[in-house]
Amino acid sequence: MTKYLMKRILHGLVSVVIVVGIVMLLIYSALDRQLIFAMDPTYKQLGNNQKEAYMYRKWEEYGYIDYVPYTEYLLELTAKGEITEEERQSVASFGKKPENDSEDVAKYVQRFTEAYEAKGYTVIRRDAKMQTPKKYVSGGQQQLFAYKDKPLFSRLVGYFTGIFSVDNIHYVQEDIENRGLTFTLHDPLYGGEKFSPAIIGNGTKHKYLLYFDNKFPFVHQNLLQINLGKSYAVNLGVDVFETMTMPQGSYVLSTVAYPTGLVEESADDLHTAVYIAGSRQSSMVSSDRFTDDYTSVSTVKNAKSKVGFSFVIGILSSLMAYALGVPLGIAMARKKDRLLDKLGTLYIVFIIAVPSLAYIFLFKAIGGAMGLPTTFDIDKSSYLMYVLPIVSLALPSVANLMKWLRRYMIDQMNSDYVKFARSGGLSENEIFTKHILKNAIIPLVHGIPGTVLFAITGAIITERVYVVPGAGNLLTKAINMYDNGVIVGVTLFYALLSIISLILGDVLMSLVDPRISFTSKAR
Amino acid sequence: MKNEQMTFDELNLSDEELFSRVDHNDLESEKITAPRYSYWRSVFRVFFRKRSNVVILTLFTLLLLFIYVYPALVPYDQFANLMDSSAKHLTPSAAIEKYGFSLEWIFGSGKSGESTFGAVWNGARISISMAFICALINMTVGILVGAVWGFSKKVDIVMTEVYNIIGNVPYILFISVLVLIFSAGFWTMVFALTVTGWLSIAYFIRTQVIIIRDREYNLASRCLGTPILRIATKNILPFMTSIVVTLVATEIPSYISYEVFLSYIGMGMSEMSLGKMIYEAENAMLTPGWQFEFWTPVAVASIITVVLYVVGQNLGDASDPRTHM
Repeated sequence: MTKYLMKRILHGLVSVVIVVGIVMLLIYSALDRQLIFAMDPTYKQLGNNQKEAYMYRKWEEYGYIDYVPYTEYLLELTAKGEITEEERQSVASFGKKPENDSEDVAKYVQRFTEAYEAKGYTVIRRDAKMQTPKKYVSGGQQQLFAYKDKPLFSRLVGYFTGIFSVDNIHYVQEDIENRGLTFTLHDPLYGGEKFSPAIIGNGTKHKYLLYFDNKFPFVHQNLLQINLGKSYAVNLGVDVFETMTMPQGSYVLSTVAYPTGLVEESADDLHTAVYIAGSRQSSMVSSDRFTDDYTSVSTVKNAKSKVGFSFVIGILSSLMAYALGVPLGIAMARKKDRLLDKLGTLYIVFIIAVPSLAYIFLFKAIGGAMGLPTTFDIDKSSYLMYVLPIVSLALPSVANLMKWLRRYMIDQMNSDYVKFARSGGLSENEIFTKHILKNAIIPLVHGIPGTVLFAITGAIITERVYVVPGAGNLLTKAINMYDNGVIVGVTLFYALLSIISLILGDVLMSLVDPRISFTSKAR
Repeated sequence: MKNEQMTFDELNLSDEELFSRVDHNDLESEKITAPRYSYWRSVFRVFFRKRSNVVILTLFTLLLLFIYVYPALVPYDQFANLMDSSAKHLTPSAAIEKYGFSLEWIFGSGKSGESTFGAVWNGARISISMAFICALINMTVGILVGAVWGFSKKVDIVMTEVYNIIGNVPYILFISVLVLIFSAGFWTMVFALTVTGWLSIAYFIRTQVIIIRDREYNLASRCLGTPILRIATKNILPFMTSIVVTLVATEIPSYISYEVFLSYIGMGMSEMSLGKMIYEAENAMLTPGWQFEFWTPVAVASIITVVLYVVGQNLGDASDPRTHM
């Protein structure tokens, strides 16, 4: 069993990698890169050489290419210590045309070109475009940069090696004192007297690597981070995983005592402090509050995350679906060809044939007429607004469950063991609940983990129709905004969920039905 | 009542005239006398035995007439009344008052003054054509690949892996990326729905083929040396007919649903299909007096899909030889 499961998991992971590869191939190679500029106001304003440089810069931000301008190359050389700061400044500005370069500049331009062409980059130099000898055409400044398309393989490897990152004390590149981890039994944020163990890092990305607080699940860690891909357009600079799990809504203020001793009403959660280099120097707000550069904190908000909303709605609707669908399916099978069966079949046909959009709108109209709230409001605490999304999600699954359970039960009804049970004098009730149902439910059990796991991803149409701030429309939003990082991240998430739910489904099935065994011996 | 039976005595004929001698024929005596059985005639006999099927088939024909013939008779121009501000967003009664009673205005008019009735059938023509073409391509490819997939063990290993992998790519992602790559048009939509759509059909057919392939009569047939091709076409294909018809019945409405869904999330085609109409009229649903613009395409889409589904299901039932008794 374990061996079989390991094989399945390995198989699944391989196919996840291939799926992500296919998606990367689709969006990075097949998609027209010009599309991202369709809605870009900056792009329209720029002209000439600046426009071209802007395009390449954007493409790097969206992850299409590697883009290195000449000035960046010089900075890199300075950082490595190959040239001094003065030298850098003297050669940083290159001529309007290659002929105009001074001897030193020409030398470095030559070095830049050779270094990057050797690495497979394309080096582009655009001469300045002049209106008069002194005046540039709008955006006509000279440009010099190198770029390279990222090959799929290295993109894939880079992506998968970057998924899990472990925070370490060498994260901070600047010189800071006392790098290291400290373990304390008394969290300083609680005044340093209350017993609350915490691991505090210095030189790490997060200040608090492990801590306790009063929010579920009470113990939190920042040691291991999951990076599914940085968002660009949807949620600038934030990882997909964080976008999905970040709380939403309005701020919850509480009395916060900052490390400097300042006490004020704030929504800041100091446990989430992240290192930002030089932040105290650049901002008064930070220097008034913090004693070190761990100044970027997230805030406490009152509503659930995208995944949270989707999960609550999804789980409740699946519970409702099983609670209604299973008894109705049994009843339909028992009263085969009678009124209940016919009504049920009518309902199933309705759900299968009518476009889902149409019946969701129908439910919305009916619910609205009954006085239920038809739109979701994140700031309201009323539970009534959950009713319509849950019902709209549950009713189609009810039909699906009814259809299959009825089918499986009717197939079982003619089996020999049922005839035997009947001849043995068992009541119809006993036959149906103890014998037929047990056999008929097995294929349905396979789908339970999938239902639970895919509750996280939300339902695209339902969430859109009822304006639920869930995870369902993250993918469509990302696609509409050409946010490649989010597309890849969400795909990976979906693919992982579907693999896990398939494997869990098989395991659950073998638990429910002892005849099913995955050990090779039984075959 | 008069008894119409006659006795031979009344005819006054001799025995020679009444009887003639038939010689014994070995070949003739081998023939089995049974009612003539024609598969397709039985299918239609079973299909029309149910009265409700006649009704639904009439509805189906009527729909097809409206979808394919009506636009040819009454030319539809979305922007014919664009400049007439009093022609926009009319309720049915207002439109009939304005133009006089005609079939064209029974659902009022839309945001550029076009008749909703004409727009719906025009949109339905696009949606249905797309669904038919997709179904044709997907079913053909799916059945052919599925048959090979079911028969060959080597193909099975490869294809199952392909199926597991492709099945994990979110379908909507595939479609929307394809819609992005090629511009959003009718044929892009067809391509997007067919490029992976055949795979699930092929998988379904493969499972059915495997179930039937190992039945005893096929084993016997193979032992007697029947070539694979003949087993496939003569032994297995007849079994598949009802399965395929039932599958088509669920597939065609699902393509229309998909088109509506994709249009609704803003990834549909550029033509004014039913889905696009619903998408563009979403705000009209909440505006008093404009609801007809929204509910008409929704209702027509639902009617079309339900009729197609029911016709297909009943045809599928009828094409199952077990119902021909």
